[in-house]
Amino acid sequence: MTAESYSAAGSGGPGGVVPPGASTAAAVGLVERYAAAFVAGVPDQPADDGFFGPASVTWRLSADLSAPVAGLRSILIQALHPLAMAGVDKHSDWRRDPVGRLAATSAYMTTLTYGDRASASGAARRVRAIHEHVRGVDAVTGLPYAAADPALLLWVHAGLADSVLAAVRLLGTPPSDAEADRFVSEMAVSAELLGVPREIIPASVAAMDEYMAGVRPELRRTPAAAESMGYMLDPAGMGEEIAELWADLRDAALAALPGWARDLYGYPEPPPVTPARRTQIRQTLGVFDAVFMGEPGVLEARQRLELRMRRAEGSGGHGGVVPPGANTASQ
Amino acid sequence: MNNGRLAAARLRVERGLAALGLAARGGARYAGNAPRLFARAGERRQQLRNDLALRTAEDVAATLGAMKGVLMKLGQMASYVDDGLSPAARRTLSRLQDSVPPMSEDLAAQVVTEELGRPPELAFGTWDPQPIAAASIGQVHRAITRDGRAVAVKVQYPGIAETIEADLGNVALLRRMLKITAPAQDVDALLAELRERISEELDYRSEARNQQLFADFYDGHPTIHVPRIVPELSTRRVVTSDLADGARFAELAGWPTAERDLAAETIYRFVFRSLYQMHAFNGDPHPGNYLFHGGGRVTFLDFGLVKHFTADEMQPLAAMVKHLCVDNEPEEFRRAMVQAGFLVPGAPVPTPVVIEHMAVFYDTVRERGPRTMTGEYASAVTRRFFDFRSPLASYARIPRSYVILQRINLGLFALLGELSATADWRGIAEEIWPFFQGPPVTPMGAAEAGWRAGRTVGTHAASLGHKRLFKERPGLKFPRPGTETPAGGHTAAGTAPGCSG
Repeated sequence: MTAESYSAAGSGGPGGVVPPGASTAAAVGLVERYAAAFVAGVPDQPADDGFFGPASVTWRLSADLSAPVAGLRSILIQALHPLAMAGVDKHSDWRRDPVGRLAATSAYMTTLTYGDRASASGAARRVRAIHEHVRGVDAVTGLPYAAADPALLLWVHAGLADSVLAAVRLLGTPPSDAEADRFVSEMAVSAELLGVPREIIPASVAAMDEYMAGVRPELRRTPAAAESMGYMLDPAGMGEEIAELWADLRDAALAALPGWARDLYGYPEPPPVTPARRTQIRQTLGVFDAVFMGEPGVLEARQRLELRMRRAEGSGGHGGVVPPGANTASQ
Repeated sequence: MNNGRLAAARLRVERGLAALGLAARGGARYAGNAPRLFARAGERRQQLRNDLALRTAEDVAATLGAMKGVLMKLGQMASYVDDGLSPAARRTLSRLQDSVPPMSEDLAAQVVTEELGRPPELAFGTWDPQPIAAASIGQVHRAITRDGRAVAVKVQYPGIAETIEADLGNVALLRRMLKITAPAQDVDALLAELRERISEELDYRSEARNQQLFADFYDGHPTIHVPRIVPELSTRRVVTSDLADGARFAELAGWPTAERDLAAETIYRFVFRSLYQMHAFNGDPHPGNYLFHGGGRVTFLDFGLVKHFTADEMQPLAAMVKHLCVDNEPEEFRRAMVQAGFLVPGAPVPTPVVIEHMAVFYDTVRERGPRTMTGEYASAVTRRFFDFRSPLASYARIPRSYVILQRINLGLFALLGELSATADWRGIAEEIWPFFQGPPVTPMGAAEAGWRAGRTVGTHAASLGHKRLFKERPGLKFPRPGTETPAGGHTAAGTAPGCSG
């Protein structure tokens, strides 16, 4: 499948097309900046286990090999909400520094997931402060938008939670239905921290599916969505060999995407994920993971998390995440 | 509430640290024995590794599956070709090695049970559950057999063979990765070697066969020792051999010059004697694969990568040496190069240029007299090897069957260079070259001549069969320190059959 399938040529958002030089520089730093964000977000000596903790389903799914696919898919889902997309498009400099924008989100998510409560709350407060200034009128729909709008925040939240489950089910070690429900309910706190009232946050897979189906009529592919996602699926400036690896990631994210979302974008259907294809994609993900682990501090940060997860297993924790028959760690 | 939990957590950590007093020795041994994999492993780090032990086949798959095991092997191979790797690639590959913790005691015992039909405590008289070294896609344990033989037992990670075989099937991805990690290399040759090597290592039986072949060939040798295999305790995923003990390469660096020279002479003799007489090359001249005993006596470990050459493959190699270094016949040398496939026929390069390019590889054996191997020489060889701008570059090839020989250039010379070893390399080579059969030029050469005279069968036959072909010479038998020391008495240094895989 050719890169042209995803290019946003002609859709040119008001900001114009990404200057080739800028995006080249930015794309090169993707792994480095993601890694730096990850390392900074995993605490050395946390005061507490934060809002999720080592026994949570959230921790396990976040460490799954499929996580990059979940990330890419969630952006694709989130961008389909015209008002959410307008906020990002008009108030962030993703065109000049797309990787920086992604790394900032990743840093926030890492702190939220692994940080202690004080760090996670602090990070959420900072995001809310930024959101206060993100408001305007969307040129496409003519509707006013505000980043602090619980409706938009909830869509972004659901886009992520839904994508984590879709990606891990397609490519990773799938959770049981009960674990999936627990994951959705664990994740509710992240929306709450950004100002979404608890009572409107879906707390089970079924509730989340129902919520997402309800939002669907509002979704559309705006020019900004087409442009930014065209960039995500085929980032400019990657070396040829890296671009081939990225193509596997892209195909995986598109395969994990619901048909209606692919149709909205007008993307062709990716090759089906047969067992053989699944193995290939996992192999590519393994390479990305190895490269990620080569960045300074990543291995140590992962070991810190793994140790805490094993101790949580050993001490009984919630128990639900421990696979039956697994031994306890520290002998 | 949080304070209570914190205090409890601290208590647990403190208790853990106290318990570490018990575990530390074993842990430190594991670290000390695997200089490459665990170079930075201190005690605390070692405890961390134990805490992170692989407990199930699923843990193994998560750590080494999805290409990571293959990448790790690539990293081990790449340590010979540092000059061909980007710094980022080298860093990534070495981190990958750091990321693999040992198997838990239970998991290692489970593999032994599956392979030998009995749990390790019954299959062996004594079993040390603490691994002493990391090994090729597995780890090494010490044990004493039921009849009292001290042995090293290499245990493979469960499920790793299937995972790696699947990963090796993704040729397109492997090619991409190799292009990214080693852009200056011949990707196809490297890929072929990577696949072949890893496939071989997945079945420890081929390693056991090779090791026994070398052990038989060098039986009774005055300075070369190869630990014998215990066949009844060796299977596809477990290989048991005599335990050897000795000084590690890092310690050798602190020994007197004369000792280092003798050790280097033994390594040199081993490499070329094996090549010319056994037609076999142990392609892993990594520092971790030797144990040193003084007086030039060296134990050779790890036969996971042994290449056997046919007579047809050997002939042009020997001819090249003979034409260049003995007969001084440049055109004949060139003809042999073409015959071997190193140079395309009819390359528009004048023969003196060919000679000038190739001479560096033969530098140490062109003239008699003592010469010192230096780090500079090793670097020059490596640079020449990767010199893709030379006039010869577009016409030079490395046929697949000879790819492994680059380790003589990139591994052996680097090793001897690190020792700054001095010897009459040409004189020693003359002893070994089958077309020369020179007289002994050193005391070690004289001792070796005595050993050779005592054998009933000569040369190449050894590589053709796995039977014992040589007469026992008990008087010259190499002492086996491992069998003399009770299991508990081993030092941290060196009891592994190899850690480089």
